[in-house]
Amino acid sequence: MSDVVLELEDAAFRHSISSRSLSKPFGKTQGSGIFSLNLKLRRGQILGLVGPNGAGKTTLMRILAGIYPIQKGKIKYNKSKSNNLSSISEMELRSVVGHMPEQVRWQGKTTVKRALEDIAEMRGVAFRVDGILTMVGLSEMKDSELDQLSQGMRQRLTLATALLGSPKILLLDEPFNGLDPVAIRAFEKLLNELAMKGVSIIISSHRVAGMVHIVDRLALLHKGQLLIEGTLKDIESEFELDNRIEIQGPGKMPNFEKIITDSNSILQSQHTELGWTVVVRDKDDNLLNKLVSSNIKINTWKSKDTDIVEMICSATGLELEEIGFNVVSSTMMPYKTRGEEE
Amino acid sequence: MSSYKKVRSVTIAHLSNRLFSARMAIMLPILILFIPGMAWGFSDPKVMLPGGITPSSATEVMFYTSLGIVFGATMCAVLLSFDGISKDRASGVLEIKLSQPMQRSHQSLSLVVGHWLAILIPTWILWAISYVIVNYRMGDWPSIIDALTSFISVALILLWYVLFSLIASSHAREQGTSIAFGVGVWFLFTFLWALVTTMVAFASGVSIGEENDPKWIDLEGVLDLFSPNGVFHHLLETRLTGVERGVSPLISWFVALIWSLVPWYWFNSRMKIIQP
Repeated sequence: MSDVVLELEDAAFRHSISSRSLSKPFGKTQGSGIFSLNLKLRRGQILGLVGPNGAGKTTLMRILAGIYPIQKGKIKYNKSKSNNLSSISEMELRSVVGHMPEQVRWQGKTTVKRALEDIAEMRGVAFRVDGILTMVGLSEMKDSELDQLSQGMRQRLTLATALLGSPKILLLDEPFNGLDPVAIRAFEKLLNELAMKGVSIIISSHRVAGMVHIVDRLALLHKGQLLIEGTLKDIESEFELDNRIEIQGPGKMPNFEKIITDSNSILQSQHTELGWTVVVRDKDDNLLNKLVSSNIKINTWKSKDTDIVEMICSATGLELEEIGFNVVSSTMMPYKTRGEEE
Repeated sequence: MSSYKKVRSVTIAHLSNRLFSARMAIMLPILILFIPGMAWGFSDPKVMLPGGITPSSATEVMFYTSLGIVFGATMCAVLLSFDGISKDRASGVLEIKLSQPMQRSHQSLSLVVGHWLAILIPTWILWAISYVIVNYRMGDWPSIIDALTSFISVALILLWYVLFSLIASSHAREQGTSIAFGVGVWFLFTFLWALVTTMVAFASGVSIGEENDPKWIDLEGVLDLFSPNGVFHHLLETRLTGVERGVSPLISWFVALIWSLVPWYWFNSRMKIIQP
């Protein structure tokens, strides 16, 4: 595997939130953030950063973009190709990272080109603006006013700002929001090309399904902690979310007890208006033959995609209701890690 | 690209964005009305100001014209820079800017100088035009030192108001707060300061508004050091003969330096820890 370009070592950052009282009118307390986070990013790797709302994805992205200073731990960067990682300042970090924040609302009478030039001046690369605009498909809109841009066009402009200065690391926070399917496909192609050229990319999203086909690895973040990092297959295997088949059929629910063996198990079953649906773990890939030989009619047979909720439920041992809207500072730490109570 | 070139480029970007904005187009007639307009009025040979005063020299006329700076240009400085940061924060562009490899101190320098020049350039041009008007009406030119003092004083008062607005803008989470703070500060120093002076005089047992009472004059002179508008007039008064308000020119310039450095330091410190 390619060499490590960036490493977070026990990195921690907590937001300061006001906690006013009569005795302490300007009191502050530590709020949410990220805790003792260890993460490695390799050259040319596309890492998907997933987690529910409030997991700390944006905070982590801002740390990596050099906006938030870490309060504990280290950020190390491979400045040469010698595989030697050394601590890096926020300023140095900003010079190697291109950051695309979530949902930037570009507005005003300024033209697209002028807006990009304003940012490019800060990097000292204003002369490269035209090329970047072409790369993100905005060359024809370069003289349009920002107010005239659609949401998708605004996303492209934000991406253009991240690409300024040929960054070694690209941070993309919810990049697909507002993009149409064609733009998404073109965007993914561009990301793959950049990764081929050695650019390391982190894509943050709360949707796993939307990016599993372009990321090399996934990092699952929840309440400021990194729960697991690895390939999707590794993670599914770790949480026993792999080899799952969703089967749908007409009529009454068949009696699966005769068919299910040690290598198969029913995870979910339910009646629907059109018939029945079951989710089965199939480890020996022989289930379909068994169903056909048992004369069970099947309308749909597909592997079940893993979603983020299942991953987090498996990783933390929490129920969906507990995860859903329960992001407050008092519950920042997961109640349970795999196999042991914290 | 060197840091200097980067700061220069970003400053010019801020300057051109503000200088050629719709806001500036709206404010320019106000500035023209307030500065050359007042110069025209005060340089009328037949003018009689309250208290029976008739300005007799170009420097004196420009001193009275400075009211146009206090009432017009400072308000324009506030209106031009109140959203210098808050607009970018609201739209999310601030996050992009903060992630660029440019020192925060350089970013703050560019912001201040860019916004300052955007109001300073038209104001200085109008101030210079005012001198020409005064000469046309009165046939008098100020000395180079008088003119230099007035140009520097105008620059300083505009810098202070730009700094106040940018500080407010850097703290505000939305633009309403930012403009409320900017206009509030302008209102305090432009209109309410007389009330503050009166209250302090009352509390100190000094007779209020007695222009011949040395105690009142001294108190007013000292309290003016705590107001940017007051310091501005102290600086202009250093070139007027027969004005004695108990504050030496050295003190006036020293206080002007403090009014410049303290807000600048505050803004710079704020920019170092600012978050999107």
